[in-house]
Amino acid sequence: MGPVIEARGLTHEYPDGTIAIRDVTLSIEQGERVAVVGANGSGKSTLQLALGGLVDPSAGTVAYFDETADAEAVRDRLGVLLQDPNDYLFNTTVREDLEYGPAQLGMARDVANQRIERLAADLGLGDLLDRPPFRLSGGEKQRAAVASVLAFEPDVLLLDEPFGAVDAHYRERILELVADHEGTVLLFTPSLDVVPELVERVIVVGRDGSVVADGPVRDILTDRALLANNGLRPPVTVQLFEGILETADLPLTVADAREYLLNEEQ
Amino acid sequence: MTGVVGRSVESITDALRSVFAAERVAATDGFLQRRDPRVSLCSLAGLALAVMITRTLAATLLFGVLTVVLAWLSAVPLRRLLARSAIVPLASALVVLPQAVLLPGDALVQGFGLAVTDAGVAYVVRFTLRVGVGVALLSLLVMTTPFSAVVAAMRELRIPVALVWVVAITYRYLFLFFDELQRLILARNSRTTGRSSVRDGWRDARRIAGTFLLRTLDRGERVGRGMRARGGARPPAPYGRSRTIDRYDYALVALAAVAVVGSGVGRWVL
Repeated sequence: MGPVIEARGLTHEYPDGTIAIRDVTLSIEQGERVAVVGANGSGKSTLQLALGGLVDPSAGTVAYFDETADAEAVRDRLGVLLQDPNDYLFNTTVREDLEYGPAQLGMARDVANQRIERLAADLGLGDLLDRPPFRLSGGEKQRAAVASVLAFEPDVLLLDEPFGAVDAHYRERILELVADHEGTVLLFTPSLDVVPELVERVIVVGRDGSVVADGPVRDILTDRALLANNGLRPPVTVQLFEGILETADLPLTVADAREYLLNEEQ
Repeated sequence: MTGVVGRSVESITDALRSVFAAERVAATDGFLQRRDPRVSLCSLAGLALAVMITRTLAATLLFGVLTVVLAWLSAVPLRRLLARSAIVPLASALVVLPQAVLLPGDALVQGFGLAVTDAGVAYVVRFTLRVGVGVALLSLLVMTTPFSAVVAAMRELRIPVALVWVVAITYRYLFLFFDELQRLILARNSRTTGRSSVRDGWRDARRIAGTFLLRTLDRGERVGRGMRARGGARPPAPYGRSRTIDRYDYALVALAAVAVVGSGVGRWVL
């Protein structure tokens, strides 16, 4: 099976002359979990929109599932979560927003309803379903937006900062839901702490919008020079153990760090 | 933006934003909520049409009473219905107000070389009431039926997809328009200190008008992407909420049909 998303020479220039992404070539395989990281303004969100077929790049091509360059033809297989949940919640009630994607993309109603009820329970939206989205708090909106993408069960998730406004509890819940997703995941984020919990490959976007590194999560997240040059910092656990442990042994997650400390104690 | 102007814009915006939200009324149990959405759509649109073609004040008032009864049976708070329906007739009253002095008739009040005539006043009152009752009937539809169900009913009734699309997009963008304005004012207020005069308020209002236009365009574009990301490039296809048509549904449709025919005949005969 070929790549689910393959971009070649993607460049996008906004009308004011800002070049957001520059000559990006990448390939995402079926089932891969990839983080696209970069500093603020590096073009991650534009890259997400271009890969999701929501902006027409100034140059370059994107192919989906090795079969088409038309994102609309495979829209039901692409779950694009935009950065700002307000852009996602445009219906008069949360329930209508959660139903919007499944209905538009032809999912059977009873299947969609079951899925929505389960997501609402998982993300604490049960009591909010009949409320207008603008009455929700920032975190509630973020949870509703995440649910609205997961509701139609896309093969590929392209998530732009899905943890931005949620509290620690729901951050864990969203992490679990994304981790349980059986398809491909692309996570766009400037925060590296969550990255090792979810992905095995990291793509670094430089300040000029080009891809400056692409490799296994450990290689990228322990390369302080690479991260510093691109406005990023390693995960807290890496910072904590840097200079104490060999690079290959640096814990990437809190769980890894805890395990190391417990072993040391024994 | 503080002061009287800022507070007024803020409260009006908040009210209008709420107007376009279904809130909880559609979820409560009531006469119209129990109707099939296709029946609600046809009947209330039919009654609104009947109001528009009627010519007499008595008939318009009768439709007004019917609207209040339907609202009461559907547990729709009258204050909320009034708040939702008042803007359009008030605006249309302003438009037709000159008719009060332009239409020939017996003078009720005279001054500055102008005479307010009885025929003119009657026309303005009749027109405003007709628009008010018509809008109230359509507001009842949206307040008692989830908006996606109204759109689904339009599709099921085979109303041309372009028209359904326009209705769906317009309604959503009106809602977002007021949401964006509210957020802009909030952001502005959070960075404004001290009390300001009415003149300062107007100056601030002028300043944010341009920003608001740009932000609305930007938000529209972003929401457009949010819709496309979930199949919004395809014709509107919300889940239908059709029910078994019962005798009350038939009665409501019959009432609307009689009203349309009666108003038409009345307009032709009188």
